[in-house]
Amino acid sequence: MLLCLQYSKEEEARFLSHLDLMTAMERAFRRAQLPLAFSEGFNPHPRISYASALAVGVTSEGEYLDLELEEDLAADEVWKRLQNFLPQGLKVLAVVPVTKRKESLMAIINMARYHVENPLLQAIRQQDVEKMINDALSLAEWVVVRQGKKGVREVDIRPGVYRLQGRIEKKLILEMDVQTGSSGNVKPEEVLEILQRVSSFPWGKNIRVHRLGLFIREGDKIWSPLERS
Amino acid sequence: MRQFKQVLEEEILPNVKKPLRYLGNEYNVVKKDWKAVKLRSLFAFPDVYEVGMSHLGLQILYGLVNEETDYLMERVFAPWPDMEKELRTRGLSLYSLESLRPIADFDCIGFTLQYEMSYTNILNMLDLGKIPLRAEERGNEFPLIIAGGPCAYNPEPLADFIDLFVLGEGEEVILEIYAVIAKHRAIRQGKQDKEVLLKELAQIRGVYVPKFYETFYDQQGKFLGVKVKEPGVAPYVVKRVVKDLDQAYFPLRPIVPYLEVVHDRMMLEVLRGCSRGCRFCQAGFLYRPVRERSKELLLQQAERLSENTGHNEISLTSLSTSDYSCVESLLREALNRFQQKKIGVSLPSLRVDSFSVNLAKEVQRVRKTGLTFAPEAGTQRLRDVINKNVTEENLMEVTEAVFREGWTQLKLYFMLGLPTETLADLDGIADLATKVLHRAQEILREIGSKQRPKITVSVSSFVPKPQTPFQWEPQDSLEVLQEKQKYLGNRIKGKRINYNYHESELSFLEAVFAKGDRRLGAVLYEAWHLGCRFDGWSEHFRYDLWREAFERTGVVPEEIANKALTYHDALPWDHLQTGVKKDYLWQEREKAYALATTGDCRFAPCTVCGICQDLDVSMSLKKGE
Repeated sequence: MLLCLQYSKEEEARFLSHLDLMTAMERAFRRAQLPLAFSEGFNPHPRISYASALAVGVTSEGEYLDLELEEDLAADEVWKRLQNFLPQGLKVLAVVPVTKRKESLMAIINMARYHVENPLLQAIRQQDVEKMINDALSLAEWVVVRQGKKGVREVDIRPGVYRLQGRIEKKLILEMDVQTGSSGNVKPEEVLEILQRVSSFPWGKNIRVHRLGLFIREGDKIWSPLERS
Repeated sequence: MRQFKQVLEEEILPNVKKPLRYLGNEYNVVKKDWKAVKLRSLFAFPDVYEVGMSHLGLQILYGLVNEETDYLMERVFAPWPDMEKELRTRGLSLYSLESLRPIADFDCIGFTLQYEMSYTNILNMLDLGKIPLRAEERGNEFPLIIAGGPCAYNPEPLADFIDLFVLGEGEEVILEIYAVIAKHRAIRQGKQDKEVLLKELAQIRGVYVPKFYETFYDQQGKFLGVKVKEPGVAPYVVKRVVKDLDQAYFPLRPIVPYLEVVHDRMMLEVLRGCSRGCRFCQAGFLYRPVRERSKELLLQQAERLSENTGHNEISLTSLSTSDYSCVESLLREALNRFQQKKIGVSLPSLRVDSFSVNLAKEVQRVRKTGLTFAPEAGTQRLRDVINKNVTEENLMEVTEAVFREGWTQLKLYFMLGLPTETLADLDGIADLATKVLHRAQEILREIGSKQRPKITVSVSSFVPKPQTPFQWEPQDSLEVLQEKQKYLGNRIKGKRINYNYHESELSFLEAVFAKGDRRLGAVLYEAWHLGCRFDGWSEHFRYDLWREAFERTGVVPEEIANKALTYHDALPWDHLQTGVKKDYLWQEREKAYALATTGDCRFAPCTVCGICQDLDVSMSLKKGE
């Protein structure tokens, strides 16, 4: 049977790479004695597929994975068993059986929502923030430079930014919905780069990025992966 | 505290490689309340996290101490140079992973001495912890600095820096040491009187306090010996040894690292010690006698470990696992029990015989791994000298079995520069490798495989080690070692044989620090001061700085590494005893030159090495019990 798990990656685990996270999850599932389904071959791996990799240093409360089990187990039983076996900083928030969905998580997820905290080097007002965002949005293109396998190339990220809001709570807080998944990825740091170009104030270095969730966006509708499982 | 954590996580860790090296949030980590315990200790591993976390000894002592209500143990590893820079530019202290406290806050810090070339890291870690390096400069306010592990059997190069060394198996003695420290501090309202404390600790068997001993030299600077100078302290220190492995503590809730470490698997310790008696091998003499753990207990431990760690592989560890008397049935039962959970079983060390290949074949039921065998020397004559009782026939049998079973690669370990070695012995390595390759090609053709075999010949340089029959032997000079490496490279032909060798400068320094006396303390300090760190890592090894350090201190390293010693020469470790008699070691050396081999006391009569005669221990094999 296939289950979809929503999990969080919190403070204590934020420096895990995606590979570290995959290993940690497999070990937690083994400790919880879940009847894992394995791949065939010389080097059998548990059948777990992840929605999206999260960058080192980034926390999240909305990560997802599909877990295949050899035997049927109630979703809340799986949730209950896992509570005691996860390492610090990783929490399984919800478990649902996959019934409707045919495609992999990775194939259907196309939007990520981020909360970004930027330390302020000088006091600024809400209207400075509004102005910065409006100035940025009025630009025809948001061109950033990406380092690819074949060298550097320029990309316009503007079509991949669906929503951008800012407010001040001691720090400058930005919230954004951006494109993610197989069709293209916009990094929150790239959005900041554009904002820094048009802003009138200096920015601090140590930003914190937190992912609020991964979503399926169809027109103006936004679904959580659990709703589509 | 909160502030340090914030600086660490917000400002430092985003800038360093592998930040998880510096955080202690792993599964099964133990974080205890500092106010609730009587003694706070720190396990310090003088190498990077991934190496240290692969060390079973750390997990044993960490588990043992933390299961005691009155004590706690935390961990620290050598920070990689990028992290060192971050700490130094901010003036921050090296800290423990569990509580993020400066290492100077602990009551005692225990370094493990696994390898001579980690010594500069010890100095660097103390310095990063704002702790004076030299023992005599550390007052009562500083933690007691302890060291143990295999290099503690000649710890003299570190005598200036360490307050006390522990000889032998740590789990046997650590709680006795902690009880004395805790009691000492309780009487003094948490303070220590180092002079008094060290004297108390020196009464414990296996504890060596170097400041209570002095070294003597003649006018030419020849080493004459180490003698006790403090009244009431024993002239000799004898190692501590676990009597019964079934009764010994074993950690069933080991820390499971987030980061991929060198040995990323469950470790079952099937036996301790090895009595094969290879004359170059220090471990073979340090860890006697052979003590096995019973199969039933091992299987129980494996169950608990798999429940508590979630690892997907079990390693049957020991110095020589194919020598475990119940290895076949243990392996079969472990495989049967864990196959369904897709947990593999691995054997890290294999003897050169077809029995071992059969074991390896069993192991492949879950996962396929590479195979390595160690004939050590290229001719039968030289293998007899070193008492490596392996024949060419054994190796050919192994080759046949390995390639017939479907492997296409084989790695062979040899040592270069062994006592009595001639060019014929080097030719022997090349010839042996060629024969193995040809045999492999024949077999693959015979079984109709389209694959082509690959043989790797990996060559290290002989390092004479204390407490072995070759402790009196000189190491070949650097020039000779390099010539031999080159000679062998020219003799090994064809692209199917891959040839690699260890850096000879590193082996040379290993010999210097393995055999040296207290005069090396000054060299070590100077080398550290000049910037030597992580010497065992080729990207950080700076031989030029080491040469500079020797020049500045006037110590001639060639006189230590390349000098032949006689029976009558005093050795810097004569006062430190493994239980194997010095006369026995000398007798083994004489036999080496006479090409006489010595049997293994598990299968042949007792060789009277002294261990079971002088220490209250005996060999323990589980087969048939």
